Amino acid sequence: MISALKLMPVLLAWSGIAAALVRHVSGRRSVLAISCASGFIGGVAGGNLLLTLSKGEIVSSTVKSLTGTCFLCLWVVALAAFYRVTGSGGQGAPGEREKPYAFTVSCSALLAGLLAGAICVCRLAPQGGAPLLSLFVLGTAGVLLAVAAIGIEQYVPADITVTGEALLALVVSLLLFASSFTLQLDLFSPLSMKVMKFVHDFVHQFFESMLVPDHLFFRSDAWEYIGYLFGSGVGFWGGLLIWFAPVVLICAAIRLERLPTVSHIRQGAQRRKLLAAFIRERNCRLIVPCFAMLIMAAAVYNSLFPSVEYWDPKPVAVTMNDSGEIVIPKKGEIDLEDGKLHKYLLKQGGREARFMILSAPDGRLTVTLDACAICKPEGYGQAEGAVICYYCKTLIPLETMGRPGGCNPVPVPFKVGADGVSLDAMTILDRWSETVTTTSRIKGGGK
Amino acid sequence: MNDKSEGRGKVTDIIETRGLTRSYGEICALKPLDLLVPEGEWLSVMGHSGSGKSTLLNLLGGLDRPSGGSLWLGGEDLMALSQDGLARFRREFVGIIFQQHHLVPYLTALENVMMAQYFHSVPDEAEACSALERVGLGKRLKNRPGELSGGEQQRVCIARAIINSPRLLLGDEPTGNLDHANTRMIMELLKDLREEERFTIMLVTHNREVAAWGDRIICLDDGVLVREERTGR
Repeated sequence: MISALKLMPVLLAWSGIAAALVRHVSGRRSVLAISCASGFIGGVAGGNLLLTLSKGEIVSSTVKSLTGTCFLCLWVVALAAFYRVTGSGGQGAPGEREKPYAFTVSCSALLAGLLAGAICVCRLAPQGGAPLLSLFVLGTAGVLLAVAAIGIEQYVPADITVTGEALLALVVSLLLFASSFTLQLDLFSPLSMKVMKFVHDFVHQFFESMLVPDHLFFRSDAWEYIGYLFGSGVGFWGGLLIWFAPVVLICAAIRLERLPTVSHIRQGAQRRKLLAAFIRERNCRLIVPCFAMLIMAAAVYNSLFPSVEYWDPKPVAVTMNDSGEIVIPKKGEIDLEDGKLHKYLLKQGGREARFMILSAPDGRLTVTLDACAICKPEGYGQAEGAVICYYCKTLIPLETMGRPGGCNPVPVPFKVGADGVSLDAMTILDRWSETVTTTSRIKGGGK
Repeated sequence: MNDKSEGRGKVTDIIETRGLTRSYGEICALKPLDLLVPEGEWLSVMGHSGSGKSTLLNLLGGLDRPSGGSLWLGGEDLMALSQDGLARFRREFVGIIFQQHHLVPYLTALENVMMAQYFHSVPDEAEACSALERVGLGKRLKNRPGELSGGEQQRVCIARAIINSPRLLLGDEPTGNLDHANTRMIMELLKDLREEERFTIMLVTHNREVAAWGDRIICLDDGVLVREERTGR
């Protein structure tokens, strides 16, 4: 039941894709329905098989890359559409738009179905191995919803027409929306993180290496303004810009289409009637990309406020013993080897540090700070198969816990004895201070 | 266009009514009326106050719904049209000139004409200017109705009525508030425009002299068509 609820928005997004595709094709709805159905079933079956064989890693990254590729295609198509309208010559009135061959749309439906099916199965069982019955129900539900959507589409007002670009925008936005429900497939968080990293790297390289901090023409307060580029909003707003720009470009391309030539019509009222009909049709064509924009906004919301509940226990206060060590028993009130994240808070002489202990899937214990070397120390939560950095939303696979670098939590030296895990308190306090000082050095902190 | 096979008027009849009635409760403003008006004709409707002239005009202009009978305009059955269909019909088929002008007081003459364009399709300032120039108001484009004389206001009203190239121009006592000179000017303007645009005119008046500008005069009395005559024009 919970799985069904989890999958409902993703399946609805998939049925939306089917409905959007059928709007763009003339006749042959049955061929399109078959393509959708076979694509979806293929996606579910293939996705599950690969998930089972690869333990999730490869399939998630492949599906994510494919969704990302679709998004890039949307960018290319949007730029082309915008150039076609604003470039030399410009595009006149579209007149009677030719609908593409059923074959082209059917192939698109097949591919979209494959991807949607794979997204659904990743949502159902991110680590693979979903029960056969669940897969059967998922496949049947996907097919039935797609067929129902194709049937219902006939009742959508005929005025709402779809251009090729708008159709792509809608399909990609629905794919992004469907992906946003699964942490491993979400694209907005990694996008905003990349933007943040790019801006920070650029600022570092450009201002620190090329202009040298003590440059004569740079007053110190100039750095105050440069500091805004290091704020946490840079990644978010930059990400939003990249996220919505293609759909905005498509809307602009539709809006900037030249009006038809009517000078040959003698009667003014007839002339104006023709223009009004064109403007009305043009406005109707804006409905679909605007709707796509809403769906993309929903995907951003999902990404920022995921419905996934992270395992984030309240840090347990610990103290050091006379020899300056902290000893945490392996078993007892807390079982360190239960595969769950356990957080601790050490307070000593006005200083404090947070650290975590986690048993990796291979059975080894890892002890790390509740912070990484590059982000603002907002801590980590545990999701399925990974821990997530609350600041940059990067997923850290459990297999890589205990390794330094990137956004991985900073490892701390420890010993495992018969009694439990022993840690040097001063080392933890020093490493925490060092990390936090580094990541909070610049206004806004972190990446 | 009307269809002969259904036993109705000639194909060139733009107005066709069969047993058209309009009642307001107990009061029957228009008793069963049969009327055929060929395309391009100028028909004058005369009668005393309360004779049903304006009621007939409102029905033909799609401003009111008949109580009974049938009403065909330009081949379209007005009884069968929905509210939206009636609105489309009004903006594309009919132009109306009112005795009280009904111009928007805070809009200029040009804007008043452009407003009619807006509700029809899209505004076109150049075309609206040209329409006002045709009615002799080329220099009063930016004046508001309050800054225009009665005759000038009626000419703005005519420009507004013809801007969407209607097939049927209806006038409800368009010269009722005008003096003799202005009345003549308006009638000559309508005559010229009719020759250029070839629309059908139906003018309601109680002035015999104004009615004589038409091709045919019909007289209503107590909602009944009592007399019909050709003017010889």
